[in-house]
Amino acid sequence: MRKWILVLWPSFLVAALAEGVFFTVVDPQELYLFGKPVHYSALATYSIGFIGFWLVCAASSLTTIFLQRPATELNQPSRHH
Amino acid sequence: MNDASPKPSPRRDAAVDQDEVLYAPRKKLYVRAVTGLFANWRWALVWITQIIFYGLPWLRWNDRQAVLFHLTERKFYIFGWVFWPQDVFFLAILLIISAYALFFFTAVAGRLWCGYACPQTVYTEIFMWIEQKIEGDHNKRQKLDQAPMSGRKLAIRSAKYGAWALLSLWTGFTFVAYFSPLQELLQSVTTFGFGPWELFWILFYGSFTYLFAGIMREQVCKYMCPYARFQSVMFDPDTLVITYDEERGEPRGTRRKGIDPRSVGKGDCIDCGICVQVCPTGIDIRKGLQYECIGCAACIDACDQVMDKMNYPRGLIRYSTENALRQHWGSKEIVAHVMRPRTLLYGAVLALVCVGFVWGLAMREPLRVDVIRDRASLAREVEDGMIENVYRLQVMNMTEAARNFNLAVSGLEGVKIDGDGKVKVGPAATEAVTLRVLVPYDSGKPGANEIAFDVKAEDDPSLTVHEKTTFLFPR
Repeated sequence: MRKWILVLWPSFLVAALAEGVFFTVVDPQELYLFGKPVHYSALATYSIGFIGFWLVCAASSLTTIFLQRPATELNQPSRHH
Repeated sequence: MNDASPKPSPRRDAAVDQDEVLYAPRKKLYVRAVTGLFANWRWALVWITQIIFYGLPWLRWNDRQAVLFHLTERKFYIFGWVFWPQDVFFLAILLIISAYALFFFTAVAGRLWCGYACPQTVYTEIFMWIEQKIEGDHNKRQKLDQAPMSGRKLAIRSAKYGAWALLSLWTGFTFVAYFSPLQELLQSVTTFGFGPWELFWILFYGSFTYLFAGIMREQVCKYMCPYARFQSVMFDPDTLVITYDEERGEPRGTRRKGIDPRSVGKGDCIDCGICVQVCPTGIDIRKGLQYECIGCAACIDACDQVMDKMNYPRGLIRYSTENALRQHWGSKEIVAHVMRPRTLLYGAVLALVCVGFVWGLAMREPLRVDVIRDRASLAREVEDGMIENVYRLQVMNMTEAARNFNLAVSGLEGVKIDGDGKVKVGPAATEAVTLRVLVPYDSGKPGANEIAFDVKAEDDPSLTVHEKTTFLFPR
Protein backbone atom coordinates (compact mmCIF):
# COMPACT_ATOMS: atom_id res chain seq x y z
CA MET A 1 0.00 0.00 0.00
CA ARG A 2 2.71 2.40 1.08
CA LYS A 3 4.74 1.82 -2.09
CA TRP A 4 1.69 2.33 -4.26
CA ILE A 5 1.06 5.69 -2.66
CA LEU A 6 4.74 6.64 -2.86
CA VAL A 7 4.60 6.00 -6.59
CA LEU A 8 1.15 7.32 -7.46
CA TRP A 9 0.72 10.33 -5.20
CA PRO A 10 3.80 12.50 -5.86
CA SER A 11 3.47 11.72 -9.55
CA PHE A 12 -0.17 12.84 -9.41
CA LEU A 13 0.82 16.19 -7.92
CA VAL A 14 3.59 16.78 -10.43
CA ALA A 15 1.39 15.62 -13.33
CA ALA A 16 -1.28 18.16 -12.33
CA LEU A 17 1.37 20.88 -12.39
CA ALA A 18 2.81 19.71 -15.70
CA GLU A 19 -0.67 19.49 -17.23
CA GLY A 20 -1.44 23.07 -16.23
CA VAL A 21 1.80 24.49 -17.56
CA PHE A 22 1.83 22.44 -20.76
CA PHE A 23 -1.71 23.14 -21.88
CA THR A 24 -1.51 26.80 -20.94
CA VAL A 25 1.28 27.13 -23.45
CA VAL A 26 0.14 24.60 -26.05
CA ASP A 27 -3.26 24.54 -27.72
CA PRO A 28 -4.38 20.90 -28.07
CA GLN A 29 -5.69 21.72 -31.54
CA GLU A 30 -2.11 22.34 -32.64
CA LEU A 31 -0.85 18.93 -31.58
CA TYR A 32 0.05 16.22 -34.03
CA LEU A 33 -0.30 12.51 -33.41
CA PHE A 34 1.74 10.25 -35.71
CA GLY A 35 1.95 13.05 -38.23
CA LYS A 36 -1.77 13.80 -38.28
CA PRO A 37 -3.55 16.59 -36.43
CA VAL A 38 -5.21 15.39 -33.23
CA HIS A 39 -8.88 14.78 -33.92
CA TYR A 40 -10.02 14.06 -30.36
CA SER A 41 -12.23 16.51 -28.49
CA ALA A 42 -10.38 19.05 -26.40
CA LEU A 43 -11.52 17.44 -23.16
CA ALA A 44 -10.27 14.06 -24.34
CA THR A 45 -6.89 15.54 -25.27
CA TYR A 46 -6.56 17.23 -21.88
CA SER A 47 -7.55 14.04 -20.10
CA ILE A 48 -5.23 11.80 -22.09
CA GLY A 49 -2.50 14.39 -21.58
CA PHE A 50 -3.00 14.31 -17.84
CA ILE A 51 -2.99 10.55 -17.63
CA GLY A 52 0.10 10.50 -19.84
CA PHE A 53 1.92 12.93 -17.56
CA TRP A 54 0.83 10.88 -14.57
CA LEU A 55 2.17 7.67 -16.09
CA VAL A 56 5.51 9.24 -16.96
CA CYS A 57 5.88 10.74 -13.48
CA ALA A 58 4.81 7.47 -11.88
CA ALA A 59 7.45 5.63 -13.90
CA SER A 60 10.03 8.02 -12.52
CA SER A 61 8.81 7.53 -8.95
CA LEU A 62 8.81 3.78 -9.46
CA THR A 63 12.41 3.88 -10.64
CA THR A 64 13.31 5.99 -7.62
CA ILE A 65 11.94 3.54 -5.08
CA PHE A 66 13.38 0.64 -7.08
CA LEU A 67 16.89 2.14 -6.91
CA GLN A 68 16.39 3.13 -3.29
CA ARG A 69 16.33 -0.46 -2.06
CA PRO A 70 19.06 -0.87 0.53
CA ALA A 71 21.95 -3.28 0.12
CA THR A 72 20.59 -5.53 2.85
CA GLU A 73 17.45 -6.12 0.87
CA LEU A 74 19.37 -6.82 -2.33
CA ASN A 75 21.78 -9.22 -0.69
CA GLN A 76 19.12 -11.15 1.15
CA PRO A 77 18.19 -13.80 -1.47
CA SER A 78 21.79 -14.93 -2.02
CA ARG A 79 22.31 -15.41 1.69
CA HIS A 80 19.69 -18.12 1.73
CA HIS A 81 21.44 -20.18 -0.92
CA MET B 1 -11.79 -1.76 9.61
CA ASN B 2 -9.13 -3.16 11.85
CA ASP B 3 -10.96 -6.36 12.63
CA ALA B 4 -9.57 -8.21 9.61
CA SER B 5 -5.92 -7.31 10.13
CA PRO B 6 -3.90 -8.58 13.08
CA LYS B 7 -3.43 -5.92 15.73
CA PRO B 8 0.17 -4.79 16.01
CA SER B 9 1.58 -4.38 19.48
CA PRO B 10 1.98 -0.76 20.66
CA ARG B 11 5.77 -1.01 20.55
CA ARG B 12 5.82 -2.28 17.01
CA ASP B 13 3.34 0.39 16.07
CA ALA B 14 5.56 3.18 17.36
CA ALA B 15 8.51 1.81 15.42
CA VAL B 16 6.46 1.64 12.26
CA ASP B 17 5.37 5.24 12.77
CA GLN B 18 8.97 6.38 12.70
CA ASP B 19 10.13 4.28 9.79
CA GLU B 20 7.23 4.62 7.42
CA VAL B 21 7.33 7.93 5.62
CA LEU B 22 4.06 7.50 3.87
CA TYR B 23 0.80 5.99 4.94
CA ALA B 24 1.63 4.06 8.05
CA PRO B 25 -0.51 1.07 8.98
CA ARG B 26 -3.03 2.86 11.02
CA LYS B 27 -5.06 2.58 14.11
CA LYS B 28 -8.50 3.80 13.22
CA LEU B 29 -9.46 6.95 15.07
CA TYR B 30 -12.85 7.42 16.63
CA VAL B 31 -12.85 11.15 16.85
CA ARG B 32 -15.09 12.58 19.52
CA ALA B 33 -17.29 15.45 18.32
CA VAL B 34 -16.64 18.83 19.84
CA THR B 35 -18.50 22.11 20.23
CA GLY B 36 -17.29 25.58 21.11
CA LEU B 37 -15.87 28.77 19.70
CA PHE B 38 -13.32 27.24 17.33
CA ALA B 39 -15.69 24.47 16.25
CA ASN B 40 -18.10 27.27 15.28
CA TRP B 41 -15.36 28.94 13.26
CA ARG B 42 -14.60 25.68 11.51
CA TRP B 43 -18.25 25.18 10.66
CA ALA B 44 -18.55 28.77 9.46
CA LEU B 45 -15.66 28.11 7.09
CA VAL B 46 -17.26 24.84 5.95
CA TRP B 47 -20.43 26.73 5.05
CA ILE B 48 -18.71 29.65 3.37
CA THR B 49 -16.33 27.58 1.26
CA GLN B 50 -18.93 25.01 0.28
CA ILE B 51 -21.69 27.50 -0.57
CA ILE B 52 -19.14 29.09 -2.88
CA PHE B 53 -17.90 25.77 -4.29
CA TYR B 54 -21.28 24.13 -4.88
CA GLY B 55 -23.04 27.40 -5.75
CA LEU B 56 -20.72 29.19 -8.18
CA PRO B 57 -21.40 27.03 -11.24
CA TRP B 58 -25.10 27.86 -10.95
CA LEU B 59 -24.61 31.61 -11.15
CA ARG B 60 -25.33 33.28 -14.48
CA TRP B 61 -23.74 36.38 -15.92
CA ASN B 62 -24.45 38.04 -19.27
CA ASP B 63 -26.41 34.98 -20.37
CA ARG B 64 -23.60 32.57 -19.64
CA GLN B 65 -22.18 30.71 -16.68
CA ALA B 66 -20.59 33.30 -14.39
CA VAL B 67 -17.54 31.22 -13.51
CA LEU B 68 -16.41 28.71 -16.09
CA PHE B 69 -12.92 27.56 -16.94
CA HIS B 70 -13.99 26.53 -20.41
CA LEU B 71 -11.39 24.02 -21.51
CA THR B 72 -12.80 23.39 -24.97
CA GLU B 73 -12.85 27.10 -25.82
CA ARG B 74 -9.61 27.70 -23.90
CA LYS B 75 -11.18 30.66 -22.14
CA PHE B 76 -11.69 31.36 -18.46
CA TYR B 77 -14.89 33.23 -17.67
CA ILE B 78 -14.94 34.90 -14.27
CA PHE B 79 -17.94 37.20 -13.99
CA GLY B 80 -17.17 40.25 -16.14
CA TRP B 81 -13.77 38.98 -17.22
CA VAL B 82 -12.78 36.64 -19.97
CA PHE B 83 -9.23 35.33 -19.69
CA TRP B 84 -7.31 33.82 -22.56
CA PRO B 85 -4.20 31.68 -22.55
CA GLN B 86 -2.31 34.92 -23.22
CA ASP B 87 -3.34 36.05 -19.73
CA VAL B 88 -1.36 33.31 -18.01
CA PHE B 89 0.52 36.16 -16.35
CA PHE B 90 -2.47 36.77 -14.08
CA LEU B 91 -2.59 33.13 -13.11
CA ALA B 92 1.08 33.26 -12.18
CA ILE B 93 0.49 36.38 -10.06
CA LEU B 94 -2.47 34.67 -8.39
CA LEU B 95 -0.28 31.71 -7.47
CA ILE B 96 2.34 34.05 -5.99
CA ILE B 97 -0.41 35.79 -3.97
CA SER B 98 -1.66 32.43 -2.66
CA ALA B 99 1.85 31.37 -1.70
CA TYR B 100 2.62 34.59 0.15
CA ALA B 101 -0.76 34.60 1.86
CA LEU B 102 0.03 31.09 3.07
CA PHE B 103 3.49 32.19 4.29
CA PHE B 104 2.02 35.23 6.00
CA PHE B 105 -0.79 33.45 7.81
CA THR B 106 1.48 30.59 8.81
CA ALA B 107 4.05 32.97 10.28
CA VAL B 108 1.35 34.80 12.25
CA ALA B 109 -0.79 31.97 13.51
CA GLY B 110 0.47 28.61 12.31
CA ARG B 111 -1.63 26.26 10.27
CA LEU B 112 -4.76 28.38 9.96
CA TRP B 113 -5.21 27.10 6.42
CA CYS B 114 -5.04 23.46 7.48
CA GLY B 115 -7.27 23.85 10.51
CA TYR B 116 -10.08 25.83 8.95
CA ALA B 117 -10.03 26.18 5.18
CA CYS B 118 -8.22 23.26 3.54
CA PRO B 119 -10.64 21.12 1.50
CA GLN B 120 -9.24 18.04 3.23
CA THR B 121 -10.32 19.46 6.61
CA VAL B 122 -13.62 20.77 5.31
CA TYR B 123 -14.70 17.53 3.63
CA THR B 124 -13.48 15.42 6.53
CA GLU B 125 -15.61 17.62 8.78
CA ILE B 126 -18.68 17.08 6.58
CA PHE B 127 -18.07 13.33 6.23
CA MET B 128 -17.58 12.95 9.98
CA TRP B 129 -20.80 14.86 10.59
CA ILE B 130 -22.66 12.39 8.35
CA GLU B 131 -20.98 9.49 10.15
CA GLN B 132 -21.95 10.92 13.53
CA LYS B 133 -25.58 11.38 12.44
CA ILE B 134 -25.89 7.84 11.08
CA GLU B 135 -23.66 5.75 13.34
CA GLY B 136 -23.77 7.79 16.54
CA ASP B 137 -20.97 9.16 18.72
CA HIS B 138 -17.39 7.88 18.92
CA ASN B 139 -18.22 5.16 21.45
CA LYS B 140 -21.12 3.82 19.39
CA ARG B 141 -18.97 3.87 16.25
CA GLN B 142 -16.24 1.84 17.91
CA LYS B 143 -18.80 -0.68 19.19
CA LEU B 144 -20.35 -0.96 15.77
CA ASP B 145 -16.93 -1.62 14.24
CA GLN B 146 -16.25 -4.41 16.71
CA ALA B 147 -19.72 -5.95 16.44
CA PRO B 148 -20.15 -8.95 14.14
CA MET B 149 -21.92 -8.33 10.86
CA SER B 150 -25.68 -8.27 11.32
CA GLY B 151 -28.72 -6.93 9.53
CA ARG B 152 -28.62 -3.79 11.61
CA LYS B 153 -24.91 -3.21 11.04
CA LEU B 154 -25.32 -3.76 7.33
CA ALA B 155 -28.20 -1.25 7.21
CA ILE B 156 -26.26 1.41 9.14
CA ARG B 157 -23.14 0.85 7.08
CA SER B 158 -25.01 1.01 3.78
CA ALA B 159 -26.72 4.21 4.88
CA LYS B 160 -23.39 5.84 5.74
CA TYR B 161 -21.54 4.68 2.63
CA GLY B 162 -24.54 5.58 0.51
CA ALA B 163 -24.73 9.10 1.93
CA TRP B 164 -20.98 9.54 1.44
CA ALA B 165 -21.23 8.26 -2.12
CA LEU B 166 -24.06 10.65 -2.98
CA LEU B 167 -22.19 13.63 -1.59
CA SER B 168 -19.02 12.53 -3.40
CA LEU B 169 -20.85 12.21 -6.70
CA TRP B 170 -22.35 15.64 -6.24
CA THR B 171 -18.91 17.02 -5.45
CA GLY B 172 -17.46 15.40 -8.57
CA PHE B 173 -20.30 16.74 -10.67
CA THR B 174 -19.77 20.24 -9.29
CA PHE B 175 -16.05 20.02 -9.96
CA VAL B 176 -16.59 19.10 -13.59
CA ALA B 177 -19.16 21.91 -13.92
CA TYR B 178 -16.28 24.37 -13.47
CA PHE B 179 -14.68 23.10 -16.67
CA SER B 180 -17.59 22.00 -18.79
CA PRO B 181 -20.80 24.11 -18.99
CA LEU B 182 -23.29 23.20 -16.29
CA GLN B 183 -26.30 23.48 -18.59
CA GLU B 184 -24.93 20.79 -20.88
CA LEU B 185 -24.04 18.60 -17.91
CA LEU B 186 -27.56 18.97 -16.51
CA GLN B 187 -29.01 17.82 -19.81
CA SER B 188 -26.67 14.85 -19.68
CA VAL B 189 -27.99 13.98 -16.22
CA THR B 190 -31.55 13.56 -17.47
CA THR B 191 -30.54 11.39 -20.40
CA PHE B 192 -27.38 9.99 -18.79
CA GLY B 193 -25.63 11.06 -21.96
CA PHE B 194 -22.40 12.25 -20.37
CA GLY B 195 -19.36 12.39 -22.57
CA PRO B 196 -16.95 9.61 -21.58
CA TRP B 197 -14.41 12.05 -20.17
CA GLU B 198 -16.95 14.11 -18.25
CA LEU B 199 -18.16 10.91 -16.63
CA PHE B 200 -14.59 9.82 -15.99
CA TRP B 201 -13.71 13.04 -14.18
CA ILE B 202 -16.94 13.12 -12.15
CA LEU B 203 -16.19 9.62 -10.91
CA PHE B 204 -12.48 10.35 -10.49
CA TYR B 205 -12.98 13.45 -8.39
CA GLY B 206 -15.89 11.87 -6.55
CA SER B 207 -13.88 8.78 -5.63
CA PHE B 208 -11.00 10.87 -4.41
CA THR B 209 -13.37 12.91 -2.23
CA TYR B 210 -14.79 9.68 -0.82
CA LEU B 211 -11.38 8.13 -0.28
CA PHE B 212 -9.71 11.20 1.25
CA ALA B 213 -12.56 12.49 3.42
CA GLY B 214 -14.23 9.20 4.27
CA ILE B 215 -11.42 6.68 4.58
CA MET B 216 -7.96 8.23 4.73
CA ARG B 217 -8.67 11.47 6.59
CA GLU B 218 -5.73 12.44 8.82
CA GLN B 219 -3.46 10.10 6.86
CA VAL B 220 -3.61 12.58 3.97
CA CYS B 221 -2.34 15.40 6.19
CA LYS B 222 0.27 13.24 7.88
CA TYR B 223 1.72 11.36 4.95
CA MET B 224 0.63 12.96 1.70
CA CYS B 225 0.48 16.70 2.14
CA PRO B 226 3.63 18.52 1.01
CA TYR B 227 2.69 21.66 2.94
CA ALA B 228 2.62 19.76 6.24
CA ARG B 229 6.24 18.86 5.62
CA PHE B 230 7.61 22.35 5.10
CA GLN B 231 5.23 24.57 7.06
CA SER B 232 7.51 24.51 10.09
CA VAL B 233 10.14 26.64 8.32
CA MET B 234 7.67 29.54 8.50
CA PHE B 235 7.34 29.15 12.26
CA ASP B 236 9.36 31.18 14.75
CA PRO B 237 9.12 31.68 18.53
CA ASP B 238 6.49 34.40 18.01
CA THR B 239 4.14 32.31 15.88
CA LEU B 240 0.76 31.66 17.48
CA VAL B 241 0.28 27.92 17.79
CA ILE B 242 -2.00 25.68 19.76
CA THR B 243 -0.16 25.18 22.98
CA TYR B 244 -0.61 23.22 26.16
CA ASP B 245 0.49 25.30 29.16
CA GLU B 246 2.74 22.71 30.74
CA GLU B 247 3.71 24.92 33.65
CA ARG B 248 0.08 25.34 34.63
CA GLY B 249 -1.07 21.85 33.81
CA GLU B 250 1.62 19.62 35.31
CA PRO B 251 1.80 17.45 37.24
CA ARG B 252 -1.42 16.19 35.74
CA GLY B 253 -3.73 13.73 37.42
CA THR B 254 -7.21 13.00 38.62
CA ARG B 255 -8.63 14.75 41.63
CA ARG B 256 -11.94 15.32 43.31
CA LYS B 257 -13.95 18.28 42.11
CA GLY B 258 -13.78 21.41 44.21
CA ILE B 259 -10.39 20.91 45.83
CA ASP B 260 -7.47 23.22 45.11
CA PRO B 261 -5.11 21.20 42.87
CA ARG B 262 -2.05 22.86 44.41
CA SER B 263 -3.06 21.50 47.83
CA VAL B 264 -2.66 17.96 46.50
CA GLY B 265 0.48 18.83 44.57
CA LYS B 266 -1.14 18.80 41.15
CA GLY B 267 -1.47 21.13 38.20
CA ASP B 268 -4.66 22.07 36.38
CA CYS B 269 -4.68 19.14 33.92
CA ILE B 270 -7.06 16.50 35.21
CA ASP B 271 -5.76 14.02 32.64
CA CYS B 272 -9.24 13.31 31.30
CA GLY B 273 -7.79 12.67 27.84
CA ILE B 274 -10.59 14.46 26.02
CA CYS B 275 -8.05 16.62 24.14
CA VAL B 276 -6.70 13.40 22.63
CA GLN B 277 -10.16 11.99 21.89
CA VAL B 278 -11.24 15.05 19.89
CA CYS B 279 -8.00 15.31 17.91
CA PRO B 280 -8.63 14.47 14.25
CA THR B 281 -5.00 13.37 13.83
CA GLY B 282 -4.93 11.41 17.08
CA ILE B 283 -2.04 13.21 18.75
CA ASP B 284 -1.59 14.36 22.34
CA ILE B 285 -1.07 18.13 22.29
CA ARG B 286 0.40 17.91 25.78
CA LYS B 287 3.55 16.42 24.25
CA GLY B 288 4.21 19.79 22.61
CA LEU B 289 4.08 21.03 19.03
CA GLN B 290 4.09 18.18 16.52
CA TYR B 291 4.06 18.21 12.76
CA GLU B 292 0.85 16.15 12.77
CA CYS B 293 -1.07 19.00 14.46
CA ILE B 294 -3.21 20.64 11.81
CA GLY B 295 -4.13 23.53 14.08
CA CYS B 296 -7.86 22.84 14.16
CA ALA B 297 -8.17 23.93 17.82
CA ALA B 298 -10.62 21.14 18.66
CA CYS B 299 -8.55 20.41 21.78
CA ILE B 300 -8.90 24.05 22.90
CA ASP B 301 -12.70 23.84 22.77
CA ALA B 302 -12.70 20.48 24.53
CA CYS B 303 -10.31 21.55 27.27
CA ASP B 304 -12.13 24.84 27.89
CA GLN B 305 -15.32 22.91 28.57
CA VAL B 306 -13.52 20.70 31.07
CA MET B 307 -11.97 23.74 32.73
CA ASP B 308 -15.45 25.30 33.01
CA LYS B 309 -16.75 22.16 34.69
CA MET B 310 -13.86 22.17 37.13
CA ASN B 311 -14.26 25.92 37.76
CA TYR B 312 -10.68 26.49 36.59
CA PRO B 313 -9.82 29.39 34.31
CA ARG B 314 -10.00 28.57 30.60
CA GLY B 315 -6.98 28.38 28.37
CA LEU B 316 -4.94 25.47 29.68
CA ILE B 317 -4.69 24.69 25.98
CA ARG B 318 -4.78 27.90 23.96
CA TYR B 319 -3.31 29.84 21.04
CA SER B 320 0.00 31.10 22.36
CA THR B 321 3.59 31.53 21.27
CA GLU B 322 6.80 29.94 22.41
CA ASN B 323 8.11 33.27 23.67
CA ALA B 324 4.85 34.16 25.41
CA LEU B 325 4.83 30.91 27.29
CA ARG B 326 8.42 31.24 28.37
CA GLN B 327 8.17 34.88 29.39
CA HIS B 328 4.59 34.81 30.70
CA TRP B 329 3.30 37.39 28.26
CA GLY B 330 -0.30 38.55 28.21
CA SER B 331 -2.32 38.88 25.03
CA LYS B 332 -1.20 42.50 24.60
CA GLU B 333 2.46 41.52 24.32
CA ILE B 334 1.62 38.60 22.02
CA VAL B 335 -0.23 40.92 19.65
CA ALA B 336 2.64 43.41 19.80
CA HIS B 337 4.98 40.66 18.56
CA VAL B 338 2.82 39.86 15.56
CA MET B 339 4.65 42.71 13.84
CA ARG B 340 8.19 41.50 13.31
CA PRO B 341 10.62 41.47 10.40
CA ARG B 342 9.38 38.17 9.03
CA THR B 343 5.68 39.02 9.03
CA LEU B 344 6.36 42.57 7.84
CA LEU B 345 8.36 41.21 4.91
CA TYR B 346 5.74 38.61 3.97
CA GLY B 347 3.01 41.20 4.44
CA ALA B 348 4.81 43.82 2.34
CA VAL B 349 5.44 41.42 -0.54
CA LEU B 350 1.84 40.21 -0.33
CA ALA B 351 0.44 43.76 -0.39
CA LEU B 352 2.74 44.74 -3.25
CA VAL B 353 1.80 41.76 -5.42
CA CYS B 354 -1.91 42.30 -4.65
CA VAL B 355 -1.68 45.93 -5.74
CA GLY B 356 0.15 44.83 -8.88
CA PHE B 357 -2.54 42.27 -9.61
CA VAL B 358 -5.40 44.75 -9.25
CA TRP B 359 -3.50 47.36 -11.27
CA GLY B 360 -2.79 44.82 -13.98
CA LEU B 361 -6.47 43.83 -14.14
CA ALA B 362 -7.58 47.45 -14.35
CA MET B 363 -5.03 48.25 -17.06
CA ARG B 364 -5.75 45.09 -19.06
CA GLU B 365 -6.63 46.08 -22.62
CA PRO B 366 -9.54 43.88 -23.70
CA LEU B 367 -8.33 43.93 -27.29
CA ARG B 368 -5.29 42.19 -28.66
CA VAL B 369 -3.91 42.03 -32.19
CA ASP B 370 -1.29 39.70 -33.60
CA VAL B 371 0.16 40.66 -36.95
CA ILE B 372 1.74 37.91 -39.02
CA ARG B 373 3.34 38.71 -42.35
CA ASP B 374 2.37 36.29 -45.06
CA ARG B 375 5.61 34.46 -45.75
CA ALA B 376 4.37 32.83 -48.94
CA SER B 377 4.07 36.01 -50.94
CA LEU B 378 6.72 38.52 -49.95
CA ALA B 379 6.73 41.81 -51.76
CA ARG B 380 4.79 41.85 -55.02
CA GLU B 381 4.55 44.56 -57.62
CA VAL B 382 0.95 45.22 -58.61
CA GLU B 383 -0.92 47.67 -60.85
CA ASP B 384 -0.28 51.46 -60.75
CA GLY B 385 3.30 50.92 -59.55
CA MET B 386 2.23 49.89 -56.08
CA ILE B 387 4.03 47.36 -53.91
CA GLU B 388 1.86 44.85 -52.13
CA ASN B 389 2.49 42.95 -48.87
CA VAL B 390 -0.01 40.54 -47.36
CA TYR B 391 -0.65 40.29 -43.62
CA ARG B 392 -2.77 38.14 -41.44
CA LEU B 393 -4.26 39.97 -38.48
CA GLN B 394 -5.55 38.00 -35.54
CA VAL B 395 -7.98 40.32 -33.76
CA MET B 396 -8.94 39.11 -30.26
CA ASN B 397 -11.98 40.79 -28.78
CA MET B 398 -11.91 40.04 -25.07
CA THR B 399 -15.05 42.02 -24.28
CA GLU B 400 -18.46 40.44 -24.15
CA ALA B 401 -20.01 42.51 -26.91
CA ALA B 402 -19.67 41.89 -30.62
CA ARG B 403 -17.68 44.79 -32.01
CA ASN B 404 -16.76 46.36 -35.31
CA PHE B 405 -13.15 47.35 -35.61
CA ASN B 406 -11.65 49.80 -38.06
CA LEU B 407 -8.21 48.91 -39.33
CA ALA B 408 -5.78 51.60 -40.39
CA VAL B 409 -2.16 51.47 -41.46
CA SER B 410 0.52 54.15 -41.19
CA GLY B 411 4.27 54.68 -41.36
CA LEU B 412 4.94 55.15 -45.08
CA GLU B 413 3.93 57.85 -47.54
CA GLY B 414 0.71 56.80 -49.30
CA VAL B 415 0.33 53.47 -47.51
CA LYS B 416 -3.20 52.07 -47.67
CA ILE B 417 -5.25 48.96 -47.11
CA ASP B 418 -6.84 47.33 -50.11
CA GLY B 419 -10.49 47.01 -49.14
CA ASP B 420 -12.70 48.62 -46.51
CA GLY B 421 -10.44 47.77 -43.56
CA LYS B 422 -13.23 46.70 -41.26
CA VAL B 423 -13.63 43.56 -39.25
CA LYS B 424 -16.45 42.35 -37.06
CA VAL B 425 -15.48 40.22 -34.07
CA GLY B 426 -18.01 38.37 -31.95
CA PRO B 427 -18.14 38.53 -28.15
CA ALA B 428 -15.03 37.00 -26.57
CA ALA B 429 -13.95 35.75 -29.95
CA THR B 430 -11.05 35.87 -32.37
CA GLU B 431 -11.27 36.84 -36.00
CA ALA B 432 -8.48 36.32 -38.48
CA VAL B 433 -8.44 38.77 -41.37
CA THR B 434 -6.14 38.77 -44.37
CA LEU B 435 -5.08 42.24 -45.45
CA ARG B 436 -3.40 43.41 -48.61
CA VAL B 437 -1.40 46.56 -47.92
CA LEU B 438 -0.33 48.76 -50.82
CA VAL B 439 2.48 51.33 -50.88
CA PRO B 440 3.65 53.47 -53.83
CA TYR B 441 6.95 52.06 -55.14
CA ASP B 442 8.91 55.24 -54.43
CA SER B 443 7.96 55.83 -50.79
CA GLY B 444 10.20 53.24 -49.14
CA LYS B 445 13.72 51.87 -49.28
CA PRO B 446 14.51 48.38 -50.56
CA GLY B 447 14.22 45.82 -47.77
CA ALA B 448 12.33 46.23 -44.52
CA ASN B 449 10.37 49.39 -43.70
CA GLU B 450 8.55 49.94 -40.45
CA ILE B 451 4.80 50.34 -40.60
CA ALA B 452 2.09 50.02 -37.96
CA PHE B 453 -1.50 48.88 -37.79
CA ASP B 454 -4.06 50.72 -35.70
CA VAL B 455 -7.10 48.71 -34.70
CA LYS B 456 -9.86 50.81 -33.23
CA ALA B 457 -13.29 49.80 -31.95
CA GLU B 458 -15.99 51.64 -33.86
CA ASP B 459 -18.18 52.26 -30.80
CA ASP B 460 -15.41 52.88 -28.27
CA PRO B 461 -12.50 55.01 -29.47
CA SER B 462 -10.56 54.30 -26.29
CA LEU B 463 -10.39 50.62 -27.22
CA THR B 464 -7.45 50.69 -29.54
CA VAL B 465 -4.27 48.79 -30.27
CA HIS B 466 -1.15 49.96 -32.10
CA GLU B 467 0.85 47.09 -33.52
CA LYS B 468 4.14 47.49 -35.37
CA THR B 469 5.34 45.32 -38.24
CA THR B 470 7.56 45.55 -41.31
CA PHE B 471 6.77 46.19 -44.95
CA LEU B 472 9.10 44.69 -47.52
CA PHE B 473 10.20 46.39 -50.72
CA PRO B 474 11.83 44.36 -53.46
CA ARG B 475 15.58 44.83 -53.59
